Amino acid sequence: MDQSEQLDLAFAALAHPTRRAILARLAKGAATVSQLAEPFEMSLPAISKHIRVLDKAGLIEQGRDAQFRPCKLNPKPLKAVAGWTEHYRHIWEGRFETMNEIITELKGGPDE
Amino acid sequence: MSDEMAWVRIEQEFDAPIDMVWQMWADPTLFARWYGPKGFTVPVAEMDVVKGGTRKICMQMQTPDKTMTMWFIGVYTEVSEPVRLAYTESMCDAAGNIIPPSAMGMPDGHPETTEVIVELNEANGKTMMVMTHKGVPAGTAGEGGWRQAIDKLAALVAAA
Repeated sequence: MDQSEQLDLAFAALAHPTRRAILARLAKGAATVSQLAEPFEMSLPAISKHIRVLDKAGLIEQGRDAQFRPCKLNPKPLKAVAGWTEHYRHIWEGRFETMNEIITELKGGPDE
Repeated sequence: MSDEMAWVRIEQEFDAPIDMVWQMWADPTLFARWYGPKGFTVPVAEMDVVKGGTRKICMQMQTPDKTMTMWFIGVYTEVSEPVRLAYTESMCDAAGNIIPPSAMGMPDGHPETTEVIVELNEANGKTMMVMTHKGVPAGTAGEGGWRQAIDKLAALVAAA
């Protein structure tokens, strides 16, 4: 999976309040599916569906233990999303440099 | 509206009075001069800088074989000269119809509308500018939308 595909999956997975709540819970530590389901008025299969979306996006990892399959947060794709927002910072910083040049010019240029 | 929900927050000091920095945002001619990213020009900057007023910006880049044109439309949500300015921004076509971000190659879930907030404060002849750029939920009232997503995201990355 290339980075852009991974970002697409991560953004799509984050675009749901239940999945964000699940991630927030996992940020505190690993949990089983039934533990994750507890705070929601939702069936286990419905929660499992959200977990599959998160798993596919690589946002979580599921353990091998056949009975409990505890879920664990995988921070890597989240860091990719954060990196993407950095793109905006670079654009703005470039603009403000230009703004500063115009301000200097309007004030009559640098003292030389 | 806490800071960690923002995508970008930049603080910058200008050696200029507050009115001059305000004009950089409020005067279309001046705005067009600094706003385009490197290599872009801003041939159109229509700005009705009053609360509820609309803004329409065109950015253009000339490459050897074609001209790349991008349009942005938005509304001023707050205009308190010369200390605070806020406006929304969405990608649109030349007629002003909003284009979904996914059609422009942005990742799924990218908010259709973003918001820019500018706060200015003058002290000793210098002006401190704080610019915040954030994703805003567009038509997702039931979902809570992007502010929350970014909030959670920031917390998760910090905890990772």
